Amino acid sequence: MTNYIVSILTEGAIFGIMALGLNVIWGWSGDFDLAYYGYVAVGAYMTIVLTVGPAAAPAQYILGLQLPYPLAVVIAVITAMAVGLVVGLIALRHLRGIYFSIVTLGAVYVMYVFAGQYVPLFDGYNGVFGLFNPMGDWFGLDIYEYPWFLMGLCLLMFALVFLLMWRISGSRFGMALRTLREDERAAAAFGRDIYRLKLKGYVLGAGVGGFAGALFAAYLSAFNTSAWSPVEIIVLYSAVLVGGRGNIWGVALGVLIMGLLVQESTRFLPELPGLGELNTLHPEVLLALRGVVIGLVLVLFLRFRPQGLLPERRFVDKQPVLDTALQTA
Amino acid sequence: MNEALLTLGFALVTASILALSAVAFTLEYAVTNVANVSHGEILTVGAYAAYLVHERTGNAIAAAIAAALAGGFAALLMQAAVIGPFIRFGATPTIVFIATLGMSFVIQNTLVIFFGAANVAYTLDPGAPQHLGPFLLTPLDLEIIASAIAITFVLYLIISRTKFGKALRAVSQNRELARVTGINATRVAAATFFLAGLIAGYAGFILAESVGSFNPYFGFSFFLITLTAAVAGGLGKAFGTMVGAVLVGIILEFAGGYISASYNLAFAFAILAIVILVRPRGLFTNARRTVFE
Repeated sequence: MTNYIVSILTEGAIFGIMALGLNVIWGWSGDFDLAYYGYVAVGAYMTIVLTVGPAAAPAQYILGLQLPYPLAVVIAVITAMAVGLVVGLIALRHLRGIYFSIVTLGAVYVMYVFAGQYVPLFDGYNGVFGLFNPMGDWFGLDIYEYPWFLMGLCLLMFALVFLLMWRISGSRFGMALRTLREDERAAAAFGRDIYRLKLKGYVLGAGVGGFAGALFAAYLSAFNTSAWSPVEIIVLYSAVLVGGRGNIWGVALGVLIMGLLVQESTRFLPELPGLGELNTLHPEVLLALRGVVIGLVLVLFLRFRPQGLLPERRFVDKQPVLDTALQTA
Repeated sequence: MNEALLTLGFALVTASILALSAVAFTLEYAVTNVANVSHGEILTVGAYAAYLVHERTGNAIAAAIAAALAGGFAALLMQAAVIGPFIRFGATPTIVFIATLGMSFVIQNTLVIFFGAANVAYTLDPGAPQHLGPFLLTPLDLEIIASAIAITFVLYLIISRTKFGKALRAVSQNRELARVTGINATRVAAATFFLAGLIAGYAGFILAESVGSFNPYFGFSFFLITLTAAVAGGLGKAFGTMVGAVLVGIILEFAGGYISASYNLAFAFAILAIVILVRPRGLFTNARRTVFE
């Protein structure tokens, strides 16, 4: 049971970092980016190929270095940001709304297909593996102590990313991103360089995603295309939506709700009367049932509470220009 | 040269299926102004319906009709239960886009619950390949191509000659203006979705035949190619979409034949990204025209 709680908290913290990164792009900048999970994957893949050493005979992948884990994380984050920059340069130039979403969907599919099919990159569908307990021997931790260490590390990192996002949220940059979401033309009229600002936000989001991926790699100790499944992605987007796009407290709440409640709810399903035999009929039924629940939550929230449970606080102009102008006239 | 012509022959089969799927998608777009991401699931539902009916009756024509009807009702349900209410409630196209993405996920997983995630093998006897001019095609291939042409022709007549077609064009050009003139936009949208569903369900059936197997996710991967064809031809424009489908079908088949079929989707999206960036309204349109120009 303790093991279970430790792993849930670790996963939740990593997931929370992912959601905070997505929130920069979808919540603040307002672009529904489907390529986001690609950056998580790039972070995870890169971390592993930078730490585990050269590939053994049948397997093959790029780099194969044996860098210390923290350095690998830094390089992985930079790589994710570089990939994000390329996608952003193309997709953010003129495209908004569903055209942006469609192009980012395309981008993530290209990444997915290449990761899965182009064997010399990350060994195709086999993926890369072998990142066992990074930094564990620095502190002399055994396999029983290590999960606690990783949990602590991930929770600490979540706290740091949250703090960073909290600072950004109230900063001029954070405000400017929101302005673009609300009214691009008005922002341009006030002299904002829209493309550049959006690109900055996008690359920041991609970097946070890559960082979450690097931690995810340490938690999973392996990464391949099946860790890149639609279920994970839909849960991530639902978490941001359910909590409240644009509000980092809301995003954290959404992660808590979706991660702990929906992910775990079907675990207790077989105990309900009449559903007991579902589990034995089809091994995938339980997973599919969970998928249906998550999809329905997403659709219902979009319909009945699109602003989420903890909506973003709207900034109210205390002295609207129009009123002042009228008073002086 | 000869090989290129052979490839072109296979490309015609792909393009026929793609044209039907893409034209159905573009009709859905025309009357609602939203991209229905769960469009691929109409094809999947059609394939399952065809398989179940074929298993019971052993009749391919009954299977085709079942596929079309199942697709039609699935599309009608999507419109009535999700897309219509979202539009009436004033949701932005992006919100509806996300909602249909969620719905696609729900449908895929519902199909997994009932039928399992494994591939279902489903083939008709394709008959012996015959030389037809420079092409080498089976009778089944020929039937697929002929049926696609016939359906396209009937669809053209419906859209250009009937009163319903006129209403459809009106709603697609300006929903509010159409309503002012007494057209029930919701009913037109529902009827259009049913029509599009009939076509897409049938497309699912012939796609399953031509691939030889299917699973709950098969419509979604084909949707990505459908989207490319529809965007290349111009979203909401039926005629352009068909030309786009033929072009995309040919490019995919040649890329698959000469480079590698596993990168098909990556190719599709490379085309898609280029078209969206260079000609966002589609390859053959000037901004004003709609549906069947």
